[in-house]
Amino acid sequence: MGDLMTKPSATPGPVGAGPAVGTPPRRRRRRVDPTARGVLPFALPAVLATAVLVLVPIGYTIWLSVSDRQADGTNSGFLGLANYAEMFDSPQFWSSLKITLFLFVVCLLLETVLGLALGYVMSLDVPGQRIFQGMMLIPAITASVAVGLVWLLIMDPTLGAANQILGAVGIDPVVWLGDPDVAPWAIALVDIWQWTPFMALIISAGIRSLPEEPFEAAALDGASGWRLAWNVGLPLLRPVLTVAMLLRTVDLVRFFDTIYIMTQGGPVNSTNTLNVYGYNAGFVDNQPSYAATLQIALLALVIMIAGLFTWFRQRAAR
Amino acid sequence: MRQKMLSAGFALALVGGLAVGCGDGGGSGGDANEISIVMSNHPWQKAIEPLIGEFEKSSGVKVNVQTFAEQQARDKISLTLQSRSSSMDVFMTLPSREGLQFAKAGYYAPLDDYMSKSGSYDVADFPAAVKTGMTVQDKTIAAPVNVEGVVLFYNKDLFAQYGVTPPKTLDELPTVAAEIKRKSAGKVTPIALRGQSAALPFTFGPFLHSQGLEWTKPDGTPNFDTPAAADVINRYATLARDFGPPGVANNTFTQSSALFAAGNAAMELESSNEIGSVNDPKTSKVSGKIGVLDFPAGSAGSKSTVLNWGIAMSSYSKNKDAAWKFIEWATGKATQLKLTEGGIAPPRTSVAQDKSYTDTLNTDTLKEWAAALANVQTSGSTEVGPVGVAAPEMRKVVGEAVGKVILGQSDADTAAKEIQTGLTPLLAKNAG
Repeated sequence: MGDLMTKPSATPGPVGAGPAVGTPPRRRRRRVDPTARGVLPFALPAVLATAVLVLVPIGYTIWLSVSDRQADGTNSGFLGLANYAEMFDSPQFWSSLKITLFLFVVCLLLETVLGLALGYVMSLDVPGQRIFQGMMLIPAITASVAVGLVWLLIMDPTLGAANQILGAVGIDPVVWLGDPDVAPWAIALVDIWQWTPFMALIISAGIRSLPEEPFEAAALDGASGWRLAWNVGLPLLRPVLTVAMLLRTVDLVRFFDTIYIMTQGGPVNSTNTLNVYGYNAGFVDNQPSYAATLQIALLALVIMIAGLFTWFRQRAAR
Repeated sequence: MRQKMLSAGFALALVGGLAVGCGDGGGSGGDANEISIVMSNHPWQKAIEPLIGEFEKSSGVKVNVQTFAEQQARDKISLTLQSRSSSMDVFMTLPSREGLQFAKAGYYAPLDDYMSKSGSYDVADFPAAVKTGMTVQDKTIAAPVNVEGVVLFYNKDLFAQYGVTPPKTLDELPTVAAEIKRKSAGKVTPIALRGQSAALPFTFGPFLHSQGLEWTKPDGTPNFDTPAAADVINRYATLARDFGPPGVANNTFTQSSALFAAGNAAMELESSNEIGSVNDPKTSKVSGKIGVLDFPAGSAGSKSTVLNWGIAMSSYSKNKDAAWKFIEWATGKATQLKLTEGGIAPPRTSVAQDKSYTDTLNTDTLKEWAAALANVQTSGSTEVGPVGVAAPEMRKVVGEAVGKVILGQSDADTAAKEIQTGLTPLLAKNAG
């Protein structure tokens, strides 16, 4: 935030056009003075749009969570923390939290590890590399609803392709989505299929932009193969890796779309993530206030996890 | 720093959707001669959509149709009504499920005045039970569009192949299923039935009612604290676990009918409505080979569940007159007769007895189907699940508890207790 606040240099330009005139060497440090006359009106639309689109819904959701809104749109007023007490008392909330964290950890871990391997392969200059890269993008740009529907067909225990393929090689059929012990893994599998290539793309771009000198220096010192990758490549790649992981984190903690299509949280709530739970509370059980409470809890969870990431990253940078 | 702001931004974007959904949105009412209808993917919707053009021509009212899969349609309807939006004028509704909940929230525009003012509508043509199902606190909340109920479909070829006689009673049902399992060496699923928690009560209810039980006691409290209720849970769960398809815990009518139509299931316990899809030669391998039976009799006889879908007018509609014109046309005699061609069982007595309809029931399958449906209407219970303002939630309580027994996570006694304690506070809401 520091450099945003930096005042312009001692010789200010004409009002409202400050940054246009400046000495070239210092150019990069110069910013619009937010207090200068005539600047504010230009910033106002952006500020207003942000407030309306981001702050108002959050404020409204917080209000819903501490009041008693009925399905008919009337609100019987302030309730205090009653909805939060109900949430912390609900075993369903804790089981949803567990499922949310399970999917988050399993998917993020596997997507990162597989993404690193795939990203390395994609960073190599081999013939056909660009076509391969294009094809890898397909899962990530396909609508999640379509992905969910297709996997639903593939994972049908009797008529689906997955079990037919397993059967052809002599493996017993798997009840992918109908068994509470398997369903969370099946959902994780779909997410890993869909998002590993996305991780790989970011990582391969990161690998390509790494400077060569550290590698050459380490090679001169006798490092090679795994040691080179582990001790030189990975630390250099860390900033890129954390950004990619952070993007996936935010999506994974609020996991919704493929689950909603494939299991709607079933069987018997074994894939009922916080977001699916909150959705059902709002739109099936018609409890808008309780649903808002769950969404606030989800928001807090995302901020906490994203905050942890940022903290780790800053610590590592120091 | 930028990273921190980026992550915060992502996080903030989260709650937007929900809050916007709950806002008191207006939505444009549009032209007075234009209405919007939200429909659920259903045989009735498939049958009526092609006819809407005729209505538009004769009435001059333009109709915008939006169709979604059942759950998504519910979400869309619920969302539109919660936000008091006038963007939807007419919607499909299941009064047995959401009737009380929606009526209490003021979502339905009562149809009584419209019906009595209309010269040709003839409300008396609907059987009393159907009318009662569409009435909440003396107000007509919807107009009935069909009648359906739980019946037992069976694959005649497979039964002949294995030399098995179709079951007539609840006691015979598992025996027959076991015989099919044994004789087909496990290759054929003996019976396809529902396991998904929200959907399960519809096919579970007939087990309860046929054993002489009700969802609730006369004083309005749950009726699951008896050994008889645990026995019913055990019967259903055993059937599903031992003789149902793999993954039955996630199944509803779509999966069951897909299995049955593919010839992979010997029996299917489903709504009579499914005749349209399982007996369609274009989509089914077993069309023409289907037998239809009454729900197997328990100690209290064969007591299925009878269900009517209805179409309702939103109380937030700004084009109520045009909306009524549509409802009047869609549930009138002439249209309901035409809909029978699409396999829709008519709720109107005059249409059900119309010779041009009864003449079309000319195959063994259709004759058996019509007989089973008649039995559904005379002896079926209208209570698909426990009745109350929290009906959808109560169905989930029942479905989840039975589902756990199907999956072997719990036993019937525990499930009965779980239902008893789970339903008690939800039923208590009815008093308020």
